[in-house]
Amino acid sequence: MASVTLKGITKRWNEFVAVKDLSLLIKDQEFLVLLGPSGCGKTTTMRMIAGLEEPTDGEVFIGDRKVNDDLPKDRDVAMVFQNYGLYPHLSVYENIRYPLKVRKVPKSLHSEKVRQAAEKVQLDHLLERKPRELSGGQRQRVALARAIVRTPTVFLMDEPLSNLDAKLRVTMRAELKHLQHELKITTVYVTHDQIEAMTLADRVAVMDHGIISQLGPPEEIYNDPANLFVAGFIGSPPMNLMKGKLNYNNFQHPNFSISINHKANLEVATLGIRPEDLILCSAQKGVLQGTVYAHELTGESTLTTINVGPDRLTIRGPKEFKINIDEVVGVQFEASKCFLFSNQTGERI
Amino acid sequence: MGNSTRKQVADLFQFALILCAAVVILVPIYWIASGAFKQQVDVFQLKLLFTPTLANFDEIFRSPYNLHEKFLNSTLVATTTVIFAIPMSTMAAYSFSRFRLRFERTMFLMILSTQFVPAVVIVLPYFLLFRDLGLLDTRLALIIVNLSLILPFAIWMIKGFIDGIPLDTEEAALVDGSSRLQVIWNIVLPMALPGILTAAIFCFILAWNEFLFAVIITNSKAVTMPVGLSLFHAEEGVLWHLISAAGILIMLPMFGLAMIIQKHFVQGMTLGAVR
Repeated sequence: MASVTLKGITKRWNEFVAVKDLSLLIKDQEFLVLLGPSGCGKTTTMRMIAGLEEPTDGEVFIGDRKVNDDLPKDRDVAMVFQNYGLYPHLSVYENIRYPLKVRKVPKSLHSEKVRQAAEKVQLDHLLERKPRELSGGQRQRVALARAIVRTPTVFLMDEPLSNLDAKLRVTMRAELKHLQHELKITTVYVTHDQIEAMTLADRVAVMDHGIISQLGPPEEIYNDPANLFVAGFIGSPPMNLMKGKLNYNNFQHPNFSISINHKANLEVATLGIRPEDLILCSAQKGVLQGTVYAHELTGESTLTTINVGPDRLTIRGPKEFKINIDEVVGVQFEASKCFLFSNQTGERI
Repeated sequence: MGNSTRKQVADLFQFALILCAAVVILVPIYWIASGAFKQQVDVFQLKLLFTPTLANFDEIFRSPYNLHEKFLNSTLVATTTVIFAIPMSTMAAYSFSRFRLRFERTMFLMILSTQFVPAVVIVLPYFLLFRDLGLLDTRLALIIVNLSLILPFAIWMIKGFIDGIPLDTEEAALVDGSSRLQVIWNIVLPMALPGILTAAIFCFILAWNEFLFAVIITNSKAVTMPVGLSLFHAEEGVLWHLISAAGILIMLPMFGLAMIIQKHFVQGMTLGAVR
């Protein structure tokens, strides 16, 4: 068990900067999720922890030990890859046993340890099969079992669920969460799926263009986004963002204005509000008016999209709610639920 | 014309084409195979019924032909070439496939470009080189020449197979605790084995059939089978019955290897990665 510390790490390929002066402390036994769109540097960051990529600059510590010059095999980490990285010529048993074999764990312990790891991921009946005879979910379990067969200091998981179908992903997500709780091993998890991040993480690091945009517990990331990028990235559907003018206590949109308790005065600002904080009402009663563009039933709720001047807002409503396209409606919301961002810096104001 | 008739005609046409191709390929083999068991007088007669004889095989192993010596030379040269070529080319192919090297593309192109040089162009420099080194008419000279001809081809071929192994698999092995050499030995070699075997067999065939260099560099001690065949031009003309018997001996190992290659070739195509 150990913490992982990144001190000002940078990864450059010629002109391209993948990770920029990134510092991060991952606490012992913590489940940290690196979340961001593709190309934001999250996988590169993880690969630098694993030793598969060398940082151009900065230091990587596992526990108190600086590991910059250590080979991947000497870092005592286990990694689960997006494409599983199984050994196709070896049976499931041999796949799981491989780390024990190359790390010279006494042979007499192998079969017991493999069996224990396989049981934890419900694979014990498939040990004789070859990976190609398994389904996607089973292959992912083999990769997991291979990672937990010895007790590594740190678990690294690189989008481990992204190749699974939606239903299996939900099941595996819960299993991963349970496994980490049981094993109490520091885990770094890379994903672009914000639901995975929200459900699994103790803390989420939202990454954008090689830097950490915001770091905090999932509820903080959701309820208190630090900037426009995080506000727009987290949430499904994402936060509604509208450009306007901030005139001290008043936000002026081309189509409406609302008083907001704020001291700033900005020519261009963005007002953000979550779909669930908007309420549809009759046109006369609304803070703003719009016409219905689309209406969708997602099962547990409805999503209504309306056009308001240049902007399009999504509103979450109860599942029984029905409305016709092109109908004119009003929208109510509380100023306290709104977020304000500076368009110049992208930061919350 | 109805659809079914059209299909029948198409099938017939296809069958005829396959038959033509088979005739073109198989008739010479049949001619050699039957000639090997004919007496000299029967060779040019196209009769299907003749009294078979093994006398030709007896004769080619005796003086002055001594074909068993040539057979041994060919076997030693081709086998040693493959034994050296495959580990060397596998390591080179792995480096080209996995490491980002300085001037990598240029180096790879240069290696490939040696294959574009007609052999006739370099045979004279080789001859002079081996003469100065005192290696003329030795198996070692033939092995060196064959290696220079075969290595580029083997590197290129094996690199293709290694390229097909997903990087994830190797990285997983590195994180699991393997050194780079263990990754190659435990993961890459078993996965690329069908490809490496295919390359080995192709290399053996190339070395076995090599004629141009062997005919220039050797003259008595290190003569190989293909060159041995040319010995059957005697004063009494071309001894086709003996050439046929020797031809059978040259072809037999090739047939055996072709059978193995077929199995591994299919395996090489289907092994692939687990995704």
